[in-house]
Amino acid sequence: MKADKHNSKGFWDWFNPAGRDVGGWAFILNRISALGLAFYLYLHLFVLGKLAQGPEVFDQFIAAAKSPLYIAGELLVIAAALYHGLNGVRLVLNSFNIGVPRQKQMFYTALALTILGTLVFATRMFAG
Amino acid sequence: MWKITYRVHRQKGHEAPHYDTFQVEVDPEEYVLDGVEKIWAFEDRSLTFRHACHHSTCGACGMRVNGVEKLTCITKIKDVTQDGGTLTVEPLRNFPIVSDLVVDLGPLYRKMEAVQAPKVHPLSMAPWEGEDIRPPKEVPAPPEGGEYIRLPDCLECGICISACPVAASDPDYLGPAPLAAIQIQGLDGHPELLALADSQEGVWRCHSAFECSAVCPSNVDPGWRIMDLRKQVATQRLKTIIG
Amino acid sequence: MSKPHAIVIGAGFTGTAIAHDLALRGFDVTVVERGPIANGTSGRTHGLLHSGGRYAVKDQESAIECIEENIILRKIVPDVIEPNGGLFIAVTEDDLAYKETFIQGCEACGIPVDEITPQEALRLEPNLNPKLLAALIVPDGTFDPLRLALSFAASAKKNGAVFHLFTDVVDMLLDGSGNVTGVKVWDRTNGERYDIHSDIVVNATGAWVGQITKMAHAHVPIKPTPGIMVAYDRRLVNRAINRLNRPSDGDIVLPQRRLAVVGTTSFSIDDVDYVPIDRQQVELMLQRGAELIPAIRQARERGVYMATRPLIGASGPGRSISRTFKAYDHKDLDNVDGLVTITGGKATTCRAMAEKTVDIVCQKLGLNIPCTTAEVPLTSYRAFYA
Ligand SMILES: Cc1cc2nc3c(=O)[nH]c(=O)nc-3n(C[C@H](O)[C@H](O)[C@H](O)COP(=O)(O)OP(=O)(O)OC[C@H]3O[C@@H](n4cnc5c(N)ncnc54)[C@H](O)[C@@H]3O)c2cc1C
Ligand code: SF4
Ligand code: FES
Repeated sequence: MKADKHNSKGFWDWFNPAGRDVGGWAFILNRISALGLAFYLYLHLFVLGKLAQGPEVFDQFIAAAKSPLYIAGELLVIAAALYHGLNGVRLVLNSFNIGVPRQKQMFYTALALTILGTLVFATRMFAG
Repeated sequence: MWKITYRVHRQKGHEAPHYDTFQVEVDPEEYVLDGVEKIWAFEDRSLTFRHACHHSTCGACGMRVNGVEKLTCITKIKDVTQDGGTLTVEPLRNFPIVSDLVVDLGPLYRKMEAVQAPKVHPLSMAPWEGEDIRPPKEVPAPPEGGEYIRLPDCLECGICISACPVAASDPDYLGPAPLAAIQIQGLDGHPELLALADSQEGVWRCHSAFECSAVCPSNVDPGWRIMDLRKQVATQRLKTIIG
Repeated sequence: MSKPHAIVIGAGFTGTAIAHDLALRGFDVTVVERGPIANGTSGRTHGLLHSGGRYAVKDQESAIECIEENIILRKIVPDVIEPNGGLFIAVTEDDLAYKETFIQGCEACGIPVDEITPQEALRLEPNLNPKLLAALIVPDGTFDPLRLALSFAASAKKNGAVFHLFTDVVDMLLDGSGNVTGVKVWDRTNGERYDIHSDIVVNATGAWVGQITKMAHAHVPIKPTPGIMVAYDRRLVNRAINRLNRPSDGDIVLPQRRLAVVGTTSFSIDDVDYVPIDRQQVELMLQRGAELIPAIRQARERGVYMATRPLIGASGPGRSISRTFKAYDHKDLDNVDGLVTITGGKATTCRAMAEKTVDIVCQKLGLNIPCTTAEVPLTSYRAFYA
């Protein structure tokens, strides 16, 4: 009897939704929102970099940024930030063993607030 | 009797894994493990799987049933499929595969030994949560003196490790069952347990997916215990700072 | 002479205890088991560490073995035992009438027995039938089946025994005169087939011993008699609760972790590999169990399972056959040398069965090495995976 293969796909399994319960989904969303935010940070730095290339380039970019597609992208960033922050509060509380038996409800609350917050931003941004 | 299809993960030696299907006649009241044993007895003698007690006390029969970790000896067939349905049975994740449905639980057993997980303990150490009918909480001592001794709730089945996304990327992470075993003992007077809990691979590795508690078949609730252990670790550290 | 090499077939209680004993006495040991440790009858045992009380009236030979081994196991493998004692309780007049016979039997076998009042019994075990008429305390215990076998296996391994799990013995290697010189095996983890040679083969396959002896053209009188057990999802008692009467169906309730397990029955079958569950017997367990512990009716069924006793003897109704184990040297039985079969017995007596078997093995090989398993504590069951 010899075993040699470790039955996992490493960190890809973070995103594997098979057989996951509520807490698992919270974890997956947390990871995805973290990666999304990290990616956004790079994007942001890239855009700031344009500033250094002179006003025309930047103006050109700002014009593009008014497109609905771009706004949708920004909303995604807002949603990710809201979720990551709110779920972060949930995790910090849990880490002090506060509300662990209610972690699912806390996740639903974080999710509801995220959706609500994103909707508020959406109406403002599309209106303005 | 129901006619159902078992889709079984197969893997021998260094061959690539594949799935075999078996049509089986089962009593829906039977358990998923009974169906697997039936396949071995009547269809394919080369099938390998783990089992011993057949009533959720040994922890040998953990598998993934339709993607979810289950103790197959207490999972009724009627609860996971219907007449004419399909059951996909796979080995646990995050352990080395020996063959077919068999994984090597060695890494878990070695960690349980490292954290000195109690093998038997006084009755008073067992939490009563979830017991509706029970002897009174103040269980009288046996007339021979001393306290009743019992086996712990944790079956060392490895199901929690299989469900843990952190264990997937970090095989050295102590994981839910061993951390729960530390929490049950408490950190007072156990500097070696504090060191393990507070290490790189200890409580801080957990990312709160709580999948362990969702799948644990034996009331251990390791997710809650890891969070409680964090509190205990923080308290111990605070004590040493304050002096 | 180099170390003698023994093959043990089967890794239930009997096989693992024999492997441990052989390894301690300096043998090279190879264990061949077609499944994981304790997948056969042993894993599915009810889990009563018998005080001997159950056999004290009708089968005193068994009862004495039980109490002796009960004391030894508590000492050498405390890690897997709940040493909480047991009660024999009377709930009917018929039970009560059995009390004196029972006490005399226990005394004759050296089993300590104490009578307590029904009130005292109810204080100790509040879930007992409140109508109980008498209660006797005996030194029963309960054990974790898999971990008991693992402890013996781990100890054997520590002393050099090699385990081939998921490996079937498919045939015997025979020399020109039909004597056994080893086994042909099939490793199901990788599909390989190969031969293992040895000085002696020990057949410890429980209810399956007949299949192995057949491969060697030998035979053994064995009668597979399964029984049912039903686990409920509440730990309703902290000690073994027995019906104070002659052994019958569903007369024992045991605590196990968070469970209460009721057992058992006894009937005959032919195919031992898959024993279907009969719902009528499940009902019977509920009914009989509830006579001892009424709260079982409020608990939920968590697991129903079967195990098959390897009872000795070829005829007669199951329960009246002696449960005492027998070790056979097939040289005497069938003029086949190199093969010893051990069967019967109980989990509680597995160490003694191993002692007797290895004595026979030593005698056959002309060795004189004393048995020390009664004194040597077993290693941690987890060390099997060390
Ligand atoms: C219903 C029931 C309740 C019981 N309750 C108790 C109790 O409460 N207390 C108690 O002390 N005793 C109890 N017993 C008795 C006890 O369980 C048995 O005596 C004991 O388990 C027998 O162990 P064994 O090792 O001889 O057999 P098994 O555990 O059956 O071991 C035989 C092994 O041989 C293997 N095998 C078979 N064929 C081959 C092959 N060709 N190649 C390789 N390996 C093979 C099998 O896989 C199996 O693992 C109970 C028995 C039954 C049936
Ligand atoms: S904590 Fe629960 S799931 Fe994990 S090994 Fe123990 S019993 Fe199994
Ligand atoms: S076989 Fe023991 S827990 Fe399932």
